Amino acid sequence: MSVTVRIDPTLCRGHAICALFFSDGVELDQWGFGRVIDDRADSARLVRRAHRAAAACPNGAFIVHDDAAAPVLGVNATP
Amino acid sequence: MTVLHDPGVDGDIAATAPWEAEPIRIGGLGEPGTLLLSGPGATPEGEDLAGHVTRWGHLPGLDGTQVGALLRDSRLEGRGGGGFPLARKVETARLSPGRPILIINASESEPASRKDRMLCSQRPHLVLDGAALVARSLGVDEVVVHAHRGGASPSGSLTLAIALRSAARLADPVWRLSEGPDRYVSGESSAVASYVDGGEARPLFSTRPLAVQGPSGRPTVVTNCETVAQLALIARVGPVAWNALGAPSSPGPRLITLVGAVSHPGRVLELTGPGTIGDLLAADGVLAPPAAVLVGGFAGTWILGEEAWQTPFSRQSLDCVGASPGCGMVGVLPHDACALNETARIVRFLAGESAGQCGACVAGLPQLADSMEALARGSFRRRGVKRMTDLADTILGSGACGHPDAVVRLIRSTLDVFQDDVVRHLAGSPCRGSDHSPVLFVPDAAPGPLVDGRKWT
Repeated sequence: MSVTVRIDPTLCRGHAICALFFSDGVELDQWGFGRVIDDRADSARLVRRAHRAAAACPNGAFIVHDDAAAPVLGVNATP
Repeated sequence: MTVLHDPGVDGDIAATAPWEAEPIRIGGLGEPGTLLLSGPGATPEGEDLAGHVTRWGHLPGLDGTQVGALLRDSRLEGRGGGGFPLARKVETARLSPGRPILIINASESEPASRKDRMLCSQRPHLVLDGAALVARSLGVDEVVVHAHRGGASPSGSLTLAIALRSAARLADPVWRLSEGPDRYVSGESSAVASYVDGGEARPLFSTRPLAVQGPSGRPTVVTNCETVAQLALIARVGPVAWNALGAPSSPGPRLITLVGAVSHPGRVLELTGPGTIGDLLAADGVLAPPAAVLVGGFAGTWILGEEAWQTPFSRQSLDCVGASPGCGMVGVLPHDACALNETARIVRFLAGESAGQCGACVAGLPQLADSMEALARGSFRRRGVKRMTDLADTILGSGACGHPDAVVRLIRSTLDVFQDDVVRHLAGSPCRGSDHSPVLFVPDAAPGPLVDGRKWT
């Protein structure tokens, strides 16, 4: 079981809560907006933390994709 | 190179532009009758259906597979700015689950660009022919043509053209004209797709390309109106002949808008063959290299005049100087103007034209605009430049769309190309161009990027 995480920058308002729960994969910029630096969570512990971060984000900006459900493409991957 | 201009599009920059009845082809390539701008001069309604059919004949009865082959063989690339191969977009949409949606993007958000409006208003049937072909290759029977609202909208010409085609009972798809907010980022493809789907005309964040899955859940192809008009030519002259009208790395002819210090700002040219930027400028009476040119749009790249003069306007050659064709805009900076002033005005405009969604635009761009203005005024110290470039590094890649990245690239290009000017401005030395009137046509930004649902629908 593994997941891929994303932060939707159009929803992120810089509450920075994701950085508390998913501290290994998120860094904050100078204003506190989160940025994913490691989008993979492939241990049970990390997957749990990813889901916690998603649940805690007040704007629903922290997104967890189940890798088994659908492949995640890069935003600018193709067309 | 064919020169054509629509004198009636925009009073701001085109009022003095002449109407060229005789095509000029500097590259010497292309039969006079085989280009987008060949044919009659500009009229308020544009070329009518009878004239179009007389010159081009009816649209060949190609099926979807044959159109797909044309797209692949011609290597047609998007003309809206990204330069993405249309064949791949179409193929991706065809292979993705769901019935595709086709949107022709005639927004032309770039304030200084005129080529899309001119094309839609003067050659509406080439645009519609091409759109009908893409619809066939996607197997869809409805096409949305989207434009911005406002005085410069080509919707009137398109409405008339569609009525004529309907009366003539052409084998067309169902046309749907869409008009959205006249904002810079509202012409971005995901913003257009969002608006057409009933949402706001603001860029979307998505982990999937539109052609795989758009906001409606269906594969969505958004392609520029010049791109599809080129396909209408390809269907007539054949992909190989069409391809040869461009440079090896830039297939086919291409529309260019000249702005800034040229004799007729807003003039639209059609470039064939490996013409240089110098050739383009010479066609408008510029006889010596200017100080610099801004290539590709406001979100483009500066090139020093001497270098630009020799540089062919092709993807590969522009790539060598860090630029790309973008939307085909070429802005000319004269020797007595200040590039930092011009850039500061553009950055301020782009900062005000963000959709106000992501941190990069909301928090970052106003700061970048302040910094550029301080640098242009000469009230900046060296530490400030470092802070500005650090800020630019932070912003790059952190937005949902390419808007903040474009501003970052413009600023990097400015600092890179005009190093001498930057040093002079930092030293507080008087700038030769500080009193120069604005060169590039930069409109006032909208009152602000604040989120107000009404502004975006």
